[in-house]
Amino acid sequence: MTTLSLKRIAVLALPMAALAMTTSAQAQEWTPSRSIEFIAPANPGGGWDTLVRTMSRVIQQESLADESFAAINVPGGGGAVAWAQVARDNGNPHKLFATSPPMILVPLAGASRFDHTDFTPIARINTDYSIILVAADSEYQDLEDLFTALKANPGLSVGGGSAPGSMDHISMAGLASAAGMEASAVNYIPFSGGGDAMTNLMGGHIEAVIGGAGEAVGQLGEGSQLRALGVSSEERLGGGLAEVPTYQEQGFDYTFDIWRGVMGAPEMPEEAVAYYEELFADMLETTAWREASDQLGWIDAYQDSEEFGAFLDQQQEQFSSVLTDLGLMR
Amino acid sequence: MDALNNLMYGFGIALEPINIAYVFAGVFAGTIIGMLPGLGPISALALMIPITFAMEPSSGLILMAGVYYGAIFGGSTSSILLNAPGVAGTVATSFDGYPMAKQGMAGKALAIAAYASFIGGTVSVVFLMLVAPLLSKVAVSFGPAEYFALMVLGLTAVVSLSDKSLVKGLIAAVIGVMISIVGIDTQTGTERFTFNSIQLLDGIDFLVVALGIFALAEVFYMLLRGGGGKEVPRNVIGSLKLSRSEVKQIAGPISRSSVLGFFTGVLPGAGATIGSFLGYSMEKRLAKDGDTFGKGNIKGVAAPEAANNAACTGSFVPLLTLGVPGSGTTAVLLGALLVMGVTPGPMMLEQRPDVFWGVIASMYIGNIFLLVLNLPLIPLIAKILDLPRPLLLSMILIFCMIGVYGMSFSVFDLLLLLGFGLLGLGLRLFGFPTAPLILALILGNIMEESMRRALQISGGDWTTFIDKPISLSLLVIATLSLGLPLLKKRRNKAAAAAN
Repeated sequence: MTTLSLKRIAVLALPMAALAMTTSAQAQEWTPSRSIEFIAPANPGGGWDTLVRTMSRVIQQESLADESFAAINVPGGGGAVAWAQVARDNGNPHKLFATSPPMILVPLAGASRFDHTDFTPIARINTDYSIILVAADSEYQDLEDLFTALKANPGLSVGGGSAPGSMDHISMAGLASAAGMEASAVNYIPFSGGGDAMTNLMGGHIEAVIGGAGEAVGQLGEGSQLRALGVSSEERLGGGLAEVPTYQEQGFDYTFDIWRGVMGAPEMPEEAVAYYEELFADMLETTAWREASDQLGWIDAYQDSEEFGAFLDQQQEQFSSVLTDLGLMR
Repeated sequence: MDALNNLMYGFGIALEPINIAYVFAGVFAGTIIGMLPGLGPISALALMIPITFAMEPSSGLILMAGVYYGAIFGGSTSSILLNAPGVAGTVATSFDGYPMAKQGMAGKALAIAAYASFIGGTVSVVFLMLVAPLLSKVAVSFGPAEYFALMVLGLTAVVSLSDKSLVKGLIAAVIGVMISIVGIDTQTGTERFTFNSIQLLDGIDFLVVALGIFALAEVFYMLLRGGGGKEVPRNVIGSLKLSRSEVKQIAGPISRSSVLGFFTGVLPGAGATIGSFLGYSMEKRLAKDGDTFGKGNIKGVAAPEAANNAACTGSFVPLLTLGVPGSGTTAVLLGALLVMGVTPGPMMLEQRPDVFWGVIASMYIGNIFLLVLNLPLIPLIAKILDLPRPLLLSMILIFCMIGVYGMSFSVFDLLLLLGFGLLGLGLRLFGFPTAPLILALILGNIMEESMRRALQISGGDWTTFIDKPISLSLLVIATLSLGLPLLKKRRNKAAAAAN
């Protein structure tokens, strides 16, 4: 009796399922037909490259996808070369690239013909935060001390790992505004990378450094030559950074995300976007990802395609107002 | 003897069979990677990260470090045989190595390069072992002002690299500086000399220029000269053996350059390329037969080869003791270590002594491997020169193209390579020296950036360069090294006139 009724249901259900498939089949069932080109728009070793390689590795290790993710480096122009290449590949569902705030900042600075609206947002993956560092023996005990000194003597140098108008500078300028300073009054010294800036801080050549928390965490703790004054997150971070107070705790109403995510070729089919959204959401749940993120100081901050797109628009607005304050809008 | 105990501990790790296998695999792969122009240690190491992920951190670093110094070791081969530097650090080796090869002494040049690399590598590991923790202070003592002064000192070598005409040498240097500043200016974000081309935004890769101006220009030059291989003598390899007087000649340059190279490597951002140039120009100035440098002087091969290997080891000081990468290659290594769960930095010696001492011990072993691996290979590899001229030229051409394309997968860079080949040919036909161009290309950008950074920090006050003792002493040495030869010349002239 039971078998019969099941059969009957099956018989009834089949045409209905078929009907459903014609409307949403592709939306549910798209899978890649060849290996996916996963582009890091920079040289090996940087943040984008690490994201691309870590994601590809975890997806492969955990057998999350039938086709492999091939990490490809397309360096040049702070991302612009890779963007120009992807932009030509309209509708290609097998081409993705790693992205982060430079996707907004580089076009705003007039250094890329393409901006984030030219690509398909897939998902925001995770985020890092800005951190303010001083030398271990520095007289500044908290952000208040530092900004009192900066206001009294704006010549004091604050180093960062990227060019003026890029991530570290924007983050510092925003904090300075929140502290009641003129954003452009900060004497921001661009170094060739976060490591370079920190070395100069250790040597006493500059007063403070703004950098990525993930990059700085290895430099903090016992026996360290550096000390952290604050992080740009909303809540305190974990691990080696648990002792570091947020900006907000210290009365500076300002947060800054160094988000990282994935975008794809322009006008990528919706079904493919849905496939990747789900794949990446699954990836974030794996232990392999958990372990890698802990090592690299990443904090998951997943957003699906739609949320990510809206987030990017909002970031663009926020950054353009800071860049205007700094006189760096083009 | 604390260091000795630690070293024994390190050998305990490095001599585990699996780690010996990793050292061997690393230096072997490194040698091959180094020989092929374009495929540099950076991309090789980045590709290896997934392989090393599951390894014991000490084994992973032993393997990757082996690839790094193996590549610097192997890079001299193509510099000497083909005038096509395999990695940036071996450009200076081609100045005298290639002329030696043309004179039928390829075997000797390669042997000297191998010995010098071995000694430079080993001496610097001793330094790394004994003074690494202390040296972290030296590494951070160099701020922008000090780097500027160091680059000025480096640039004074233009004078000694200019052989006949100083004016032509200076013109070549100016061209080099101009090439070095192409791209987005890091201090302001302004584009310079990019002509609205996005391919130029990141500047021009050093190896594209070096391969163009040396290797490709050489091919063009030989084509212009025509002739079906008459100049290349048969049995071109020559003996590998060094006479006693030759050993004596190169002993000084090797030991001096090993030390100089190590300290250059310790400074973040300086590295093997600058180290080899500083070693070369120092020896050229010290040598009594300095005017034969660039024409096949054995000291001109020994000095840069000792220096670049020493610098490569030196670059592990900031990486391991401070946790900051001093170069692109060490940045990739840092990333790999983080993924393996090791955080390099001041606490590493206490937290992960196995990684620290294991790697140091493995470097001794690796250098010995490199020597015994490379010496017997020399006659085989040098056979490449036995190829008929048309084949050899096409091979150099293909090597250069693959190398450049492999770096960036960009056809634009191939066009640049061609352009620099033509520029190199032009320079050569009109008697301009190319070494000053390359030197200025390496130093120009760092010098300018450091100067502007220093001035921005000091609020535009130029006395910052003479207020700091290190910067002041470097500038004084630079002035002396420029002024003394001029004074000497004048005195000689006066003496001649008096006679």
